[in-house]
Amino acid sequence: MRTLLLIVLSLTAMAVAGLTGCTRGEQQASTKLQVVTTLFPLFDFARIIAGERAEVTMLLPPGMEPHSFEPKPNDIIRISKSGLFIYTSRYMEPWAETILKGTDRRSLRVVDAGQGVSYLKGSAEVGHDHAGHGDHGTDDHAAGMDPHIWLDFSNAVVIVNNILTGFVAADPANAPLYRDNAAALNARLADLDRRYREGLSSCASRTFLHGGHYTFGYLARRYGLEYRSLSGISSESEPSAAKMAAMVRQIRSSGVRYLFAEELLSPRLTETLAGEAGVEVLKLHGAHNLGKDDVQRGIGFIELMEQNLANLQKGLACRSK
Amino acid sequence: MPVEIVATEGLGCSYREGCVLEDISFTVTAGDYVGIVGPNGSGKSTLVQALLGLVPVSSGAARLFGSRCDGFNQWGRVGYLPQSLHLLNPVFPATVAEVVGLGLLSLKSFPRRFTRHDRNTVDALLEELGIYDIRTKLIGELSGGQQQRVLLARAMVNEPELLILDEPTAALDPETRQRFYQMIADINRTRGVTVLLVTHDTGVIGQHASKMLYLDKRMLFYGSFEDFCHSPEMSSLFGEHSQHLMCHRH
Amino acid sequence: MNILEILSYGFIQRALLAGTLIAVLCSVLGVFLVLRRLSLIGDGLAHVTFGSTAIALAFKLYSAASLLVSLPVVLLASLGILKLTEKARLSGDAAIGIVSAVGISAGIMLASVGGGYNVDLLSYLFGNILSITYEEVLIAAGLFCVVMLLLGLFFNDLLAITFNEGLARVSGVRTNLINAVLVMLTALSVVLAMKLVGIMLISSLLILPAVSALQLARSFKACIALAALQGCCSVVAGIFVSFLTNLPTSATIVMLNLLFFGASCGLRRLLGAKSSS
Repeated sequence: MRTLLLIVLSLTAMAVAGLTGCTRGEQQASTKLQVVTTLFPLFDFARIIAGERAEVTMLLPPGMEPHSFEPKPNDIIRISKSGLFIYTSRYMEPWAETILKGTDRRSLRVVDAGQGVSYLKGSAEVGHDHAGHGDHGTDDHAAGMDPHIWLDFSNAVVIVNNILTGFVAADPANAPLYRDNAAALNARLADLDRRYREGLSSCASRTFLHGGHYTFGYLARRYGLEYRSLSGISSESEPSAAKMAAMVRQIRSSGVRYLFAEELLSPRLTETLAGEAGVEVLKLHGAHNLGKDDVQRGIGFIELMEQNLANLQKGLACRSK
Repeated sequence: MPVEIVATEGLGCSYREGCVLEDISFTVTAGDYVGIVGPNGSGKSTLVQALLGLVPVSSGAARLFGSRCDGFNQWGRVGYLPQSLHLLNPVFPATVAEVVGLGLLSLKSFPRRFTRHDRNTVDALLEELGIYDIRTKLIGELSGGQQQRVLLARAMVNEPELLILDEPTAALDPETRQRFYQMIADINRTRGVTVLLVTHDTGVIGQHASKMLYLDKRMLFYGSFEDFCHSPEMSSLFGEHSQHLMCHRH
Repeated sequence: MNILEILSYGFIQRALLAGTLIAVLCSVLGVFLVLRRLSLIGDGLAHVTFGSTAIALAFKLYSAASLLVSLPVVLLASLGILKLTEKARLSGDAAIGIVSAVGISAGIMLASVGGGYNVDLLSYLFGNILSITYEEVLIAAGLFCVVMLLLGLFFNDLLAITFNEGLARVSGVRTNLINAVLVMLTALSVVLAMKLVGIMLISSLLILPAVSALQLARSFKACIALAALQGCCSVVAGIFVSFLTNLPTSATIVMLNLLFFGASCGLRRLLGAKSSS
């Protein structure tokens, strides 16, 4: 009898705790729009558009490569409780569509931030460029598409506008504020684009060599750089000895003095190539995610891109104006 | 004064599924040839494994050459032939000579390397046991009888003072079995090696052993073969007829 | 592309040097591990390394410094596998399975509790045979010397416990010590070699050369020698084949080992048919 009483009591306590927890959560939710994003650029843009009027969070834990991410039950609850979910594509976040299948699409607004962007194939791999393997992407689009669309700043503007549309639909009351914030952000992106165009206009080298996976294709294309990476888009693939040697030959023949590596990832292969060819390594940020320290410092997308520009100008020996 | 080789006092072993041995006390002196007999599951193998420290002792004590079994380290004085059927991995890539050589490890200290002299010792023993011709064969390729002789050679190669043999004839045909027992008897007689031999063929061992130890979880008999044949307890256990058959010397 | 040109690349020279050293030591260890039914210990300890690297990254210890955490943790895990097989009377595969599952889940828990890192954990976990540095060649050589020296000193004891543990004890071999030496040498090799050449190569080099050698060997010493030979040949041939065919190097080496295994099985049948007829 006593145990029964104990059980009943504890159950009641739990229920009360649960109810008060819920009401508190709802109070918060009712005042602010909850927005969940997948990748860092989406998070940063949404954060700027939201200002003080919405709560924006990012799913990826700091430092993690998007492909190695696996959503936890909590993440799925967070998404289904949010008013707005923003992602880019199945190329970058294959797990996003699986999560969405399990949520109620009537209450949740989903934004495909990459809508309207023309995706490019990533095919500037070393050793693949002259050998007639160029058409390997045609049979399987998903495998060959480059998902790093935000690295072309005109695409970044499209992404900002897509996110804005989502915000306006989800929270019409604050629409004017969101529009103002987005316009300001787009202006900063346009300015960034202008600085890139100017900063990279008079460089000694136009060859942009990257000792890792294909990442910076959009950026290189926009500013007329010739981009070559050690391996293709898939982060699981491993280079062959022949590709390594081809990269070394390319570094030597192009006469560059710096080889680029991507932040967050292990620079082992890049360092090997650089050591072999007698050049130095410079880091660029792919911006899909941030390291823990950068998150704490509150670094934004535009600042990352400014760092990238400085390193690109150093690596390509550009005259700064 | 006979030299004590093996002694137990109230030895008990209870491992895995409950109690296996209870209150075993006996003494084996130098030059004895003790046949350890008893029905299946009576704890014969457990007894010799306890003597060698391979299974834990739960009560009482056992001594080898006067020192307690749990701290025993004069392994050069002991040779052991285990129940072979549990032993051999059929794909183990060791030759007969390599397996027999392992018996010499007990005479060595770190680092245990073999010398030319050791190889000659092994070859000589293989010759003596009539298995020199198969010394380069893999242990897994041999017949049961050949494997048994190889393992006996391994047990004898360090010239032990005490030879413990656990069901050594299980894989042998009757004729080879007879020769094998003869060989052990010779070793016991000519070299003065003390022998403990576990077997379930009571009749055959009786012809060779100087002492019998009859075991069925407890020790039911320990003494000379003559006494074993005239023991009333044994005749009530086996029946007069069986006892007579066992004790009849060919 | 001629051989001299291939050899002119420093990363190829280092891959050949460190690769063959690691291949030989893995193949030799593998013979003992496969016969002791601990074939998957390489994979198991790799998972523990993952967990311990997660701890190291949480303390901001990268690459070489992360060994300060992983090495002791993995050595303890290897002894844990041994204790599980002895005390809990588990078979080797179950003991390895437990330790490996605990290792990987501890890593995943730490990764989510710690609130992320400054780098991508997985990309720091595995090395690549093509990106071995000069210092790492020295590490590989040191590891090779230590493992080979200890295997040499304890060779007969190892052979004895691998043949039969009970018999080994009655021959005066300190079986607990020798077992511990075997698994700790394996742990040391897995932790260091994983950083150098990646786990896929380590776990396949611990198994495939040993099982091929078991098909053909006519003595234990021959078995060790054959395994070492296959490990060594597969790495050298794998690097050249990867160069000529543009295939990933580690995967090529694993496939060559599989090819050698197939050939050994075929050869054994052929020899068996000849000797029985």
